[in-house]
Amino acid sequence: MIRVLQLARGDAADLSARDARSDMLGLVVDGSGAGAPAPAPTPDELLARVGAGDRQAFAALYDATAPRVFGLVRRLVVDPAQAEEVTQDVYLEIWQTAPRFDPARGSALAWMFTLAHRRAVDRIRAAQAARDRDLRIGARDLDVPVDTVAEEVEVRVEHERVHEALADLSKLQRECVALAYYDGLTQREIAERLEVPLGTVKTRLRDGMIRLRSALGVTT
Amino acid sequence: MTEPGDRDGEHTDEPRLAREFASLEAMHELAAAHALDALDADERAAFEAAAAASPELRAAADSHAESAAVLAALAEPVEPPPALKQRLMAQLDGLPQQQPVAQRVEPATSAEPVASATPAASAEPAAPAQPASSAAPIERPPGRAQAHARRRWFERPGALLGAAAAAILLIAGAVLGVAWSGPNGWGAQREMAAIAEAPDAQSQTHEVAGGGEITLVTSAEQGRSGVVVAGLPELEADQTYELWYIDDSGAASAGTFDVSGEETWRVLEGSFTPGVAVGVTVEPAGGSPQPTTEPIVVIPT
Repeated sequence: MIRVLQLARGDAADLSARDARSDMLGLVVDGSGAGAPAPAPTPDELLARVGAGDRQAFAALYDATAPRVFGLVRRLVVDPAQAEEVTQDVYLEIWQTAPRFDPARGSALAWMFTLAHRRAVDRIRAAQAARDRDLRIGARDLDVPVDTVAEEVEVRVEHERVHEALADLSKLQRECVALAYYDGLTQREIAERLEVPLGTVKTRLRDGMIRLRSALGVTT
Repeated sequence: MTEPGDRDGEHTDEPRLAREFASLEAMHELAAAHALDALDADERAAFEAAAAASPELRAAADSHAESAAVLAALAEPVEPPPALKQRLMAQLDGLPQQQPVAQRVEPATSAEPVASATPAASAEPAAPAQPASSAAPIERPPGRAQAHARRRWFERPGALLGAAAAAILLIAGAVLGVAWSGPNGWGAQREMAAIAEAPDAQSQTHEVAGGGEITLVTSAEQGRSGVVVAGLPELEADQTYELWYIDDSGAASAGTFDVSGEETWRVLEGSFTPGVAVGVTVEPAGGSPQPTTEPIVVIPT
């Protein structure tokens, strides 16, 4: 935000009267188009503004994140119409609960993905019979999510980081984490599917997530 | 998936759940699975109830959630249909935002307009260490009884989040695939869960005259409260149950509810302030602006 402020001040002196209004400056900078491209507001900045009832910020946050949120939901909820419904509910919930978002507890993106993942999982558990899911899972390469995902330019760096982090997990841990996250299975369902004891799945999930966390250097 | 019958079983089996919550160690084992949404509805509810009472567990949950969310980066981005954004933007009008949670460390320097509809956030700094009398300007100076009630409230042992709040979470977790709006929709579920999860959440259960019981869950920090009612008699078609916030100045309607099944719950409309009492009356269908009958239960806070 500091960079944004400096840019705005340098580009348009008449903005000085508003320099306390960082929310407006973000918009002005977007439209200035002078010199080097202004840094787009981060999702965290946008979400803070959404929390204050800023609709333009909501629209911008949607534009910046919808393909990734929709992509995640589509991965879990295969039916496109249902995935669209879930995505819509996710963004309405983001709008409603943004005032309660606590940046001290994590990033805006993580908060949004957490919400989207949960809603998608809720939907498939409510709507799909276990048999349907087994069929769907059977058609998919589960072991290495790393290999099944397209390389999108704008997320490549993030991909590499996640790939590297996932490489720290054992194959069995990765398999369990992938079945949970990308297929929305409960630990009990994973145990049934892999025909291993529930306790084994719990241990793999826990150890896998601990390794992932340390590989990613997540701190909260 | 939880069968409705199972859920009722869980609800009446509260001591077992309470023991589970006590076992924080076991909950730490579940933190990773929780972040991956790999817990079933009951496990999730139990975990979240435990996390609500344990900052340590909450921190573990948050850090796992942060790394789980990174996994989202591997899902291929898909451009949603353009109509989705239009539909979303059109719906914002009818969708009020939640009130922000009071920041415990934030000094009360922000010039919060007294007339704002968010009294709880500014009027009730959540830190129990802060004496009630030093609270920032509030709309209505508390009377002696209210101040006393508030002191009592602050003196109560913290983290009373018990089986009742857990029951709410169970309900919230088990009711899936419902609409966003409506008194028991996702939005309300989310709000109910937020109240129950609040660090300062308090719950109490009372018998209701005429049968059944009501559990009130309050959070001064959130400025909200909710009720779970069980076993209340069904009313005639031209009657409804109505909730009231009652203080020295009278009763203010906090919404209506009807009982058709065994159990229902509501987030109360309006703001909750410690010291206020919550009452329930039977009113003509549609509700009344003021109570017209004697309350079947009054719960002091």
